[in-house]
Amino acid sequence: MVLERVEHGDTVLEARGITKRFPGVVANDRIDFEIKAGEIHAILGENGAGKTTLMNILFGLYQPDEGEIWIGGEHVRFRSPLDAIDLGIGMVHQNRKLVSAHTALENIILGHPHAGKILDLKRAEAEISDLCNRYGFSVDLKAKVWQLAEGEKQVVEILKALYRGAKILILDEPTSALAPPETKRLLASIQAMTEDELAIVPFITHKLPIVLAVSDRVTVLRQGKVTARLETEAATEQSLAKEMVGREVIFRLERVKAETGQPILEVENLTTLSDKGYLALKGVSFSISEGEILGIAGISGNGQQELAEVLAGLRQAEAGRVILDGTEITHIPTLERWQRGMGYVPAERVDVGSIGDFSLVENVTMNYYFDDEFCRGGVVHYRDIRKLTKEIVAEYSVATTGPDCKAKTLSGGNLQKLILGRVLSRRPRLLIANLPTQGLDVGATEFVRNKLIEAKKEKAGILLLSEDLDEILSLSDWVAPIYEGELMGIIPGEEAKREVVGAMMAGSVSGSGTS
Amino acid sequence: MRIGSYRLRMEKRLTVSGWEAATISVLAVIFALALFSIIFVLAGVNPLVAYREILSYAFANPFGLPPTINRFIFLLFCTFAFIIPFRAGLWNIGMAGQFYVGALCAFAVLYAFGGKASRSADLPAEIVIPLMLLASALGGAILAGIAGFLKGKLNINEIVVTMMLNFIAYWLVSFMIKEGGPFMNPGGRGESFELPASVHPPLFNDVAFTLLLALGIAIYLSFLFARTRTGYQIRAHGLSPAAARYAGVSTVKISLLVFVVGGALAGLAGYHYFAAVPGVFKIARNYGQIGDLAFYGIICGLISLADPLAAIPVALLFAGLTVGGRFVQGQLGIGFGIDYALLGVLMITLVAFQFFYRYRPVLERNVQLEERLEDVGVYR
Repeated sequence: MVLERVEHGDTVLEARGITKRFPGVVANDRIDFEIKAGEIHAILGENGAGKTTLMNILFGLYQPDEGEIWIGGEHVRFRSPLDAIDLGIGMVHQNRKLVSAHTALENIILGHPHAGKILDLKRAEAEISDLCNRYGFSVDLKAKVWQLAEGEKQVVEILKALYRGAKILILDEPTSALAPPETKRLLASIQAMTEDELAIVPFITHKLPIVLAVSDRVTVLRQGKVTARLETEAATEQSLAKEMVGREVIFRLERVKAETGQPILEVENLTTLSDKGYLALKGVSFSISEGEILGIAGISGNGQQELAEVLAGLRQAEAGRVILDGTEITHIPTLERWQRGMGYVPAERVDVGSIGDFSLVENVTMNYYFDDEFCRGGVVHYRDIRKLTKEIVAEYSVATTGPDCKAKTLSGGNLQKLILGRVLSRRPRLLIANLPTQGLDVGATEFVRNKLIEAKKEKAGILLLSEDLDEILSLSDWVAPIYEGELMGIIPGEEAKREVVGAMMAGSVSGSGTS
Repeated sequence: MRIGSYRLRMEKRLTVSGWEAATISVLAVIFALALFSIIFVLAGVNPLVAYREILSYAFANPFGLPPTINRFIFLLFCTFAFIIPFRAGLWNIGMAGQFYVGALCAFAVLYAFGGKASRSADLPAEIVIPLMLLASALGGAILAGIAGFLKGKLNINEIVVTMMLNFIAYWLVSFMIKEGGPFMNPGGRGESFELPASVHPPLFNDVAFTLLLALGIAIYLSFLFARTRTGYQIRAHGLSPAAARYAGVSTVKISLLVFVVGGALAGLAGYHYFAAVPGVFKIARNYGQIGDLAFYGIICGLISLADPLAAIPVALLFAGLTVGGRFVQGQLGIGFGIDYALLGVLMITLVAFQFFYRYRPVLERNVQLEERLEDVGVYR
């Protein structure tokens, strides 16, 4: 292997003039960059900036149309990811590529040359435990992958790459699914790895503060081109966002105080089961009034998803009551909830919130086919819905070729704008927004948040479920941290402190202890 | 692939228009016929003569055309029975069983009106024929409805249920028409009593009136899927049950609905085949063979991409080939089963050609070996 012995500051990987074209777009346009041993070099860009393409080229999934890759001073060509792995490149995917029915250990040694025909699990376990100790990872190697939390799965992927001998680690959105304490641990591990002269390349669309905190250098991509290449010390959050988006971005949202009125949603003692049959929500109570945002802060898998679904009527309530505008709706069907003025933006925007093979018009129809205004005598008036779709597309600046194109052609951010626009166009009394900005780039995130604030000003009550603590803190009038299916308290937004809420998300009831 | 200084590349396509799909299907048919001509050559028959005979008998012969159209009507009903659940993402493999029960229910109406007594029994046609139609639809609907209900309510696999119900229905017919069963022919030939002449259906040149019904239903279904609320709910459920549930569509209602309607149409095929096709007019001894033909509804449905209007030419082609194929077998003295073999080749080719719904072949100048190697096409 070329990277057998590297000294601090050696250039381990160099990309020169990487160009990749797809029908109709130049995904990567003459991209140059280099990574040195012991360096954290972040690649920044919005969705669609060409990050994924570049990542896939570096990992050997795509071959560049033009340009060269040099590793440790040698010109290399990757025919497949196997070549990249053999040359010391490790990739940690955002969509985990693990076998969930296998243990962490089995996943790590899968595909390793040492694994051979007869597995020496003992030896492998000892070697992997060494890696864990060295870099401060804690994960139960004997646990099945499906039992692991998102952060632990990521650790398994990192260990897999390291065990395979990676000297250059590509991380795809490393912190997007992690809770604050997990993020902290990951960053500490990454720093320990750089001390061993590993080169780390995180690809990031959001969470700019983290980039600033840990990386040495940053390369910013926009529309397939490198727009900035700078030392992190010289960068600010503002300047990076400006390079990514191409214009000024307002970061700090002022918490808007809207006039609060009648309570819209009252939830009493709500209890429900998860898909696997255990208690996912254990007697949750809260209420939301007109013009209020209640933010549920929590690490994924603590009952947020079930809470959203049970309120939407997509999951059976085992106990407790849900009252919308004074009427109990605990057990009414989903459709009736929409008719009574509830709106729901689900977290699974591709699988639940939209239908990829439907046109945008048909996707908007999802919230209108039952409406007398758009459906008379059982016949859907697609012409009217088409007009409405055009309005939503214009108002929410959804980038698309037209209302008749299929939803699967939209990028994540544009799809989310369409879904949000569709739900808000019904002017719901109560909006449930589950992870509304997850995976969105800076521009789309800003847009979605502003739309939530607009809805709030128009007296909608909003239940915001998010894993992004900053989002919760900047938008919510009330903050309710959730842990293992229970609300750990409900704090007024102005008084909510990051450390306190973070600790409550991790299970501290009083909120006084810090992590 | 390289062809001289050109290269052939497969480009992924996101959508396929109706015309493109039609062109691909026509090319597939031509390809299948060309491929099958090998068999004709091996059998010592000029393939061109064979095809001319098949097509001219099926579509241009005064004796061949009516059977073709009657077979086509039958296939079209069975295709609808597949298409409707399929648009909701569900598989009806039970058109044979629904067809049997439909036939039984139609004959139950005759039985109730005393039609078993004699072929010359005088029954009020204007009452009995509509009742027979209704009963056959109801019978098919109930049988299929069992599968739809179990699927919607308890998520029991609809493929298994409909398939198993086929066996029950098959033996139910046997029980009813054979060995002293209530519908047994007085002559005891292992078939049902015959349809009294007074309730013979209106015929147009030996073509059953159910043709109008089948074509009308094709147009209605096309409208249903494209324009109505119910059609929207079915399509949404078919593409993404989770998204449909989010949109407020009831899984139980949709599953039940598509199976009930699909089953009703397969049931109508039962009326059509045994009580409206001239020359049959009874539940025949070989009813099982006709039931097997009902499964062609699945193939026709898949080939027409579950479009009720596109199903019309597809079902017509299949009907013509079964009728014409059987004819040339005798005419040219070819071995038994050549008609089924031809259908088999045709089906496989049509399904295989659906590859081109997703990929478009592109012929272009071969620029450079270097670039060709880096091609990220389907062959990578």
